[in-house]
Amino acid sequence: MPTLIIDNQTVTVPEGTNVLEAAKRLGIEIPHFCYHEALGSVGACRLCAVEFREGPVKGIQMSCMTPAKDGMVVDTGSAEVLAYRAQVIEWLMTNHPHDCPVCDEGGECQLQDMTVAGGHGIRRYTGPKRTYQNQNLGPFIVHEMNRCIQCYRCVRTYQDYCGGTDFGVLGSRQRLYFGRFSDGPLESPFAGNLVDVCPTGVLTDKTYRFKSRVWDLQEAPSICPHCSLGCAVTPGARYRQLQRRRARLNNQTNGHFICDRGRFGYGYANHPDRPRYPLVGHRRVTWQEALAAMQSKLQELGELFGSGSIGLLTSSRATLETQFLTKRWAAALGSDQLCFEAHPRRDFASRVAASQQLDRSASLEDVRNCDLAVLIGADPLSEAPMLALALRQAARRGARIVIVDPRPVVLPVAFERHAVSVDKFSQLLRGLGRPQQGDFSSSMEELGGSLANALLAAQRPLLIGGTDLLGPQGTQALQHAAKACSQPEKPCRTMFMLTGPNSFGGALLSANGPGFDSLMEGMEQGRIKALLCFEADPLADYPDRKRSRAALARLDMLAVFDCAATATVQESDFFFPTTTVEESVGTLINNEGRMQTFEQVFSAGTPLAESASGSHPPRFFTRDIPGSEPQSAWGILSALMGRSADLDALRREIEKNDHRFAGLSQLKANGEGRRIAIPSQHPESLPLNIASSIGSDQLQLLVTETLYGSELLSSLSPCLQELIPAPFVTVHPQDATRFKLEEGKKVLLGTPMGDLTLTLRIEGDMVPGVAIVPRLRGTVLEPLVPGTESLPCRIEKV
Amino acid sequence: MSLWRDIRGTILPFWVTLRYLFRRPVTVCYPERKQIPAPRYRGRLILTRDPDGEERCVACHLCSAACPVDCISMQAAEREDGRRYAAWFRINFSRCIFCGLCTEACPTLALQMTAEYELATRELLQVVCEKEELLIDGCGKNDQYNFYRLAGIGVAAPRGSNPGESPPVDIRSNLP
Repeated sequence: MPTLIIDNQTVTVPEGTNVLEAAKRLGIEIPHFCYHEALGSVGACRLCAVEFREGPVKGIQMSCMTPAKDGMVVDTGSAEVLAYRAQVIEWLMTNHPHDCPVCDEGGECQLQDMTVAGGHGIRRYTGPKRTYQNQNLGPFIVHEMNRCIQCYRCVRTYQDYCGGTDFGVLGSRQRLYFGRFSDGPLESPFAGNLVDVCPTGVLTDKTYRFKSRVWDLQEAPSICPHCSLGCAVTPGARYRQLQRRRARLNNQTNGHFICDRGRFGYGYANHPDRPRYPLVGHRRVTWQEALAAMQSKLQELGELFGSGSIGLLTSSRATLETQFLTKRWAAALGSDQLCFEAHPRRDFASRVAASQQLDRSASLEDVRNCDLAVLIGADPLSEAPMLALALRQAARRGARIVIVDPRPVVLPVAFERHAVSVDKFSQLLRGLGRPQQGDFSSSMEELGGSLANALLAAQRPLLIGGTDLLGPQGTQALQHAAKACSQPEKPCRTMFMLTGPNSFGGALLSANGPGFDSLMEGMEQGRIKALLCFEADPLADYPDRKRSRAALARLDMLAVFDCAATATVQESDFFFPTTTVEESVGTLINNEGRMQTFEQVFSAGTPLAESASGSHPPRFFTRDIPGSEPQSAWGILSALMGRSADLDALRREIEKNDHRFAGLSQLKANGEGRRIAIPSQHPESLPLNIASSIGSDQLQLLVTETLYGSELLSSLSPCLQELIPAPFVTVHPQDATRFKLEEGKKVLLGTPMGDLTLTLRIEGDMVPGVAIVPRLRGTVLEPLVPGTESLPCRIEKV
Repeated sequence: MSLWRDIRGTILPFWVTLRYLFRRPVTVCYPERKQIPAPRYRGRLILTRDPDGEERCVACHLCSAACPVDCISMQAAEREDGRRYAAWFRINFSRCIFCGLCTEACPTLALQMTAEYELATRELLQVVCEKEELLIDGCGKNDQYNFYRLAGIGVAAPRGSNPGESPPVDIRSNLP
């Protein structure tokens, strides 16, 4: 722990900390371009020079390259140092274009800040400026190489941190070029981070191009709603339009970066088809009329059929506040027909995952620091992309990554692969739960046993499970395995990938409540006459669409509260528009049980770009904001229950009511969040595994999540829609030969949900006997939902 | 002494008034005759064009950022050739205090002040001016300046062909 003096202030820092970081601890910001906390030091920009007066090194040195040592006396602002930095800036500016007015980085540009701070104004050098040709880097990133200052941050992010291989540095001397070998879209699903790390405007956000200046944006700390990891983001909005999302620092979850699904999936908030008005029977009405009509209908049904005739459903998209108030309202209505997820198997898997011992629950930071990660039935890049990036950081520090999965899994890092079909998982998990034992009855158990031994031997072992493939039983077995592989001083941590951003919250609140299957039975038998859906889409999320459609058609009343035009909204008798994450406040609990609150970024309304007719915005004066009807779901629930919409009071009530949420009312949106206090009870009963038998002329159908197109909200984002692939089915070469199928040709896939014509892909890196289809919303694959028991399917040539 | 000062202070203004009775009046009969303001008078704002006839405004928002009364609003857009321009640009002259900070902030010299001062109207929306009403067909002051030729990003002319630029680097060559 060296102690040093920086600008007459004493600071003690851990061994290995550089002087730049040590100064940051004192609140002294040393100017820098190339240094980045997540990327480390390279000493390329020469701007962080400071003067060392005493100690092991003397004179002007780079503070990012000098580790702090005892006895150092550092001056960060001596005249000599300031002159040195001014000189560096002047050199950088000899080639930098004077195009700040048309540069999207303007206002948050580090070069701009440093140039102004260093006092450089007039270019003294009269030689010609260096120029480059730009490249087309795909739909997300704009390239403007003339602005480059050769800090190497982009290459270090793209290649080192994110594991991309198609973007790098070319050339030599002062003619360095940062780009691809030829034009083309950047392949890494983390390419958007280049926008955040570039200190000038070389790499900027194409979806945000020329939309706003940063100082005009409304920004607030928020949470990404596109998977269960709960990454910290800062969305920016202007003129009632959500215009961009940036990564926000949370060391416990995402660190400095986010994935492209999170960064560019924001378009759903501005979607032109977003329903923005209350509807009764597809007729636009006022809020008062709609609420009154719904309540009188509810009362009528309650009097006729009893309070048990009302079913309530929320989803993993709903905030904790909404879920809590839904539970309260169900109690007030006297109904026990309340469910927090429309997909029963995912629901119970989440409930099992939420009963995990908290000291064995892993955060993404634990993933980055693990030395052995065993993933079972998990495809991180598709289900929770930032987990893939965290695994890469673990591997860069020497961790071993083992993936056991039937699918062709891609990771931005080398890993050990075991292609194992889903029905062998139970054997594998049995072996995994019995470390240091020898009598295995099958090779699968043996593999499990050897992995268990490796987990026992590791210092910071980690088990990661995908709940879609594992199911509730598998999730439970994985928890048992983790317990068996744990030692008191080094627990084997687990992480589960859940359905949505607040699956964990729903699982905590549902306890031993019914699953959606039992609500479905109630609707089919006519016991349940009314269904109230809070940000839930049972038509799309229940695995059997025919059954859910028939059951919903039998209802006397279907009320939907949602922010997107889902399939269920089309069928609703009462519709109430709700706000998106960016338009409201709330709490989400991520897959490790971390409660995180988010703040309101902007108020809901039709974007000006949409409502502006002709060549300018409307030319009349009004107090009414078009499309501002959406209200937060918890606000609507408060109104329905006759409560005041006081968020602080509500959070205090949640805390008081349920000790697991202790600390909720003290949470700050810009903090690291807080783990729930105590885990949930393990659910008493789990739905049984009903595996269908697969005939010899059949394949096992496996529906999986994909990076783009599976998650509801991001699939509505226009810039991601371009990347949604054409519907396809993947089979093993053996099966392709067996059924005489050819790569790239159309095939007919006969599924229990109907016959589908798809393009065939052949992939060697998967188990035979399986047909893998991605979940793609808005395509012919729409009715196929992941996370179900394995189903049989036929495949033949068209 | 104070009595003398009081008498002088009473009589002197009368003398000034008397003197001006026999001079030509300084006022003009507006609106029949109009005052011609100084060339740097801060009157109505205009948007100018560059010497090539293109819009100078790049919708950089610096004028709206500098404006102390928030009377300027705009939306930027991109033309096919990469030129940034204002899709719409609005100045609310009922708010404008004619301080000129916007024209000082304007990096492309698009926004300029004119000597026009007749803006009074009974119709409020007449003083909310859109781009069509603000944009003129000339350069205004500084008729040689073209931002895009000096910006260094190759919109007005191909990269490397603007004044003071070397041809684009051949990234496949390491030769000196």
